[in-house]
Amino acid sequence: VSTFVSNPDEAKEYLGRYKLFYVVIGLTLTVFCMRLWYLQIISGNELREFSEKNRIKQNKITAPRGLMLDRDGKVLVENLPGFEAILTPQYIENLDTLAKSVGPILGLEPDKLIQKVQKSRRQNGPFSQIRLKENLSREEVFRLKRMRLDTPGLEIRESIVRFYPLHENGAQLFGYVSEISKRQIPLLNDLYKGAMRFEQGDIIGKSGLEENLEKDIRGTDGISFIQVDAHGREAVTRTPNIYGEQIKDQIPSHGNNAVLTIDRDIQEVAFKSFLAANRIGAVIAMKSNGEVLAWVSTPSFDPNEFATGISPTTWSKLINDPFKPLRNKVIQDHNAPGSTFKPFVAMAALQEKVITPTTVVSAPGVFYFGRRPYHDHQKGGEGNITVFEALERSSNVFFYKMGIALGVDKMYDYIHLLGIGQKTGIELAREVSGTMPNSAWKKAAVGEEWQPGENLSTAIGQGFVNVTPISMAIAYNTIGTEGKVVKPFIIRKVIDQDGKVLRENFPQVIRDLQQTQPNGVHVSAETFKTVKEGMRRVANGLRGTAKHWKIPGVEMAGKTGTAQVMGFSADQIYQNCESRPIHMRHHGWFVAYAPADNPEITVAALAEHACHGSTGAAPIVRDIIQAYFMKYHPEIIEAGLKAKNAPRAKAEPVVTTEGE
Amino acid sequence: VINSLHVEERTLFKKLDINLIIVILALNVIGLINLYSATHGPTSTDVASLFVSQFLWLAVGWTVFLVVTLLDYAIVTRIALLIYVFNLGAIIYVTFFGKVALGAQRWIDLGFFRYQPSETMKLALIMLMAKILASRSSLGAGMGLKELAVPLICLLIPFGFVVEQPDLGTAMMLAAIGGSMMIFAKIKKVIIATLITACIIALPVAWKFVLHDYQKNRILTFLSPTNDPRGTGYNSIQSKIAVGSGRFFGKGFMKGTQSQLEFLPERHTDFIYSVLSEEHGFVGSIAVVGLFCFLFLTGVRIAINSRDKFGALLTVGVLCYVFWHMFVNIGMVIGLLPIVGVPLPLLSYGGSSMLTTMAGLGLVSSVAYRRYLF
Repeated sequence: VSTFVSNPDEAKEYLGRYKLFYVVIGLTLTVFCMRLWYLQIISGNELREFSEKNRIKQNKITAPRGLMLDRDGKVLVENLPGFEAILTPQYIENLDTLAKSVGPILGLEPDKLIQKVQKSRRQNGPFSQIRLKENLSREEVFRLKRMRLDTPGLEIRESIVRFYPLHENGAQLFGYVSEISKRQIPLLNDLYKGAMRFEQGDIIGKSGLEENLEKDIRGTDGISFIQVDAHGREAVTRTPNIYGEQIKDQIPSHGNNAVLTIDRDIQEVAFKSFLAANRIGAVIAMKSNGEVLAWVSTPSFDPNEFATGISPTTWSKLINDPFKPLRNKVIQDHNAPGSTFKPFVAMAALQEKVITPTTVVSAPGVFYFGRRPYHDHQKGGEGNITVFEALERSSNVFFYKMGIALGVDKMYDYIHLLGIGQKTGIELAREVSGTMPNSAWKKAAVGEEWQPGENLSTAIGQGFVNVTPISMAIAYNTIGTEGKVVKPFIIRKVIDQDGKVLRENFPQVIRDLQQTQPNGVHVSAETFKTVKEGMRRVANGLRGTAKHWKIPGVEMAGKTGTAQVMGFSADQIYQNCESRPIHMRHHGWFVAYAPADNPEITVAALAEHACHGSTGAAPIVRDIIQAYFMKYHPEIIEAGLKAKNAPRAKAEPVVTTEGE
Repeated sequence: VINSLHVEERTLFKKLDINLIIVILALNVIGLINLYSATHGPTSTDVASLFVSQFLWLAVGWTVFLVVTLLDYAIVTRIALLIYVFNLGAIIYVTFFGKVALGAQRWIDLGFFRYQPSETMKLALIMLMAKILASRSSLGAGMGLKELAVPLICLLIPFGFVVEQPDLGTAMMLAAIGGSMMIFAKIKKVIIATLITACIIALPVAWKFVLHDYQKNRILTFLSPTNDPRGTGYNSIQSKIAVGSGRFFGKGFMKGTQSQLEFLPERHTDFIYSVLSEEHGFVGSIAVVGLFCFLFLTGVRIAINSRDKFGALLTVGVLCYVFWHMFVNIGMVIGLLPIVGVPLPLLSYGGSSMLTTMAGLGLVSSVAYRRYLF
């Protein structure tokens, strides 16, 4: 039966071969043990970390940005809850069908959606989330929620939408927020080194105070840790700690609130007044201590559109608009001040004793300098006038003579000190300085010697002189306060969510011109009083260029002006302004403060392409100042109204032919 | 001499090799516990029923084991050829008409169960090879070409069809088992040397003409798995993470995140050992490898004590079957070998594999049962 037992030789031979078995088994055991030791003991901690990374995904919880409040605590910028649609490429099963089903709901073209996903996948990897659309409507949320079950990769998330209740009003001041661009990430991380970290998908302030206050109003984002399975679905386990310690979510911390010096009531009046007059341009109203009350730049845009993802057509409309809605014209546009420059020249001439308040100067209709005629806007001229009438009626010839007598460098010494040609240092980016020329400046900038004829154009605020509305407000405020050059500011304080003050700004006087300045110049109180009287007459005198816009009980003092947009010959300047195409019309200026003797508020308005300062800009300034007094000093207005009604003065017709 | 003629009454229980049965049972219990975990995670409701199914297969397996144990394995010499031919027929059928799974034709749908003929072919080959090789003299220099011709043909016919399916893993297993048995039976050194040389020459040819792209990818991926961590390298990387993250004591029963959250693919079949390593750590992993080693040592002892050459060869064949499966499967799971679709005997889910393994081990048990002459 058995061949094995009966053959001892074969048995011996097989016995030897079993040794091979022992060797192979021993070797396998050794190799496997070593490998397991390497994986589980030596690399164990590292691989455990990998397995944790596999299952725990971090989701950023965006911290709400701080609010912006006005000086009374009224909301200027706030946050609203919203929903956004998110895609994660890794979990998408069929991009084509997803694009075809989701695209139409969100109003996106399927092809564009596919491109977007593929691009993001290439650039940021398959796990990087793509924000398809923000601020979904109720219906969109409802329809997407029903789809989400059989559309892996699609997610509807609660989000925070930045809301600007004033919409277009003050958009350039408050700024807007939108998603950080790839290019900005390293730049901002470098700028805020260590203090803040920016990454893809972050919503940041892109302009205005949103940008400037980034560090204060941006909160600290939180992180939520969720457990996911291999398909990216959230895996809910029977007990929360079944897989060991659950990592605690990091709660986001709300950004700090900013209390501004802005007065929402006055801000709204300013914007309404601009809209009612159908004007484009800029206006700034500030208290005489530098607190900005209102700030408008038009045409404007609705920053809410940026917060919810601006459409390309809206964007291209904004950047191609010839009247520059995105530009903050209060600080970013400089124009010739025109006649609003004359009070500065008067101040220099009085202080330099070129004239005294009683000096009578002959101001004919035409003035010859060399062989060239320089015209006044009044064909017949103003006759023999003092500085008061010169300001009230805005005589050009009077100021030509002052310009010649002073020379540009003397004018510069005084006017530069008023802040003209300098940045005011307000807390906003991209402020331009404007230009206050002198002979050295021209040599450096233009490369030519100063021509004596240029003293004439400079003296009436044309030529090389360029000013921003904010610098005009500062300069007029200096005259009104008789020498106090203030630093304008908007951010009153930054407070945390409990109301604790973290940072506070106070009014600041940069220099007092009644004191002798480093260049040896000072301006006496008498000089200021003389100029102020001239400016008071502009708004109140019988022949004042702004006499039609009065406020009951309050006297304004100011000056109108016209800035030439393009170089017309002298006789063309004042002809048919209204009949030209709008972009060729002159800009109108009106800068004023009130009350005329001891100002509380200063307003500078630039009405672009409005032809005249008196009709274009003065009504806006009047509305703002009136609103200020009605809010803060209603008794003065009431008293004024009573006094006016008693003798029943008849309404004066509005005359548009003004002299500037 | 007197001792060898001493006759003793032996009970059924005493004649059984208890060590073999205990080690198989131990692996079964571990297998079931582990399979329960692999099929009852929070995201695996679709595979939960597999546990019950495996339990039933195990019961069938043990029935087969006991029946085979009690049968005299000498019968096998008579039916080996028949089983082989029947199996070969099934393989040929499957190759041309079988159901396609994962790009390979592998099984016949019997309604209650998917029968994989290539799996049972392994056992059929062991039986036929044992029969043929037992008739060869193992003395002297070993088998020459003439003696090798028949066993080689028996091996190459099913091998060719399984390659054609294409199921390279199973084909390799067939070759490994048949080859090991022939080498055990002793082959002339010249032939072994020639074969090795031929293999080296054939490798690039096979690479170019025989291997499918996915098979080439697996090998390339094995050589550098990080090339494509989300694609072909994914399984290998996730398996290594699962094993390593178990550290010394493991994450605990039902707490392996890699397997419970489906980061491990094929976790109840080919990657069942990763589940075990993740949840029971170094301790559990070594314990299972140790149990397999104990099974082999028990098997070798049974072969040594077998009453005839056929019994020894049969035992050796079954041991080779278990060994190569374990070696390739665990080697793959712990990243020592490329990804090959080979189940881990007694632990992986699968009816064909469970039946074949238990029947094979039944043969070993039968050899042990009949180690005594009387």
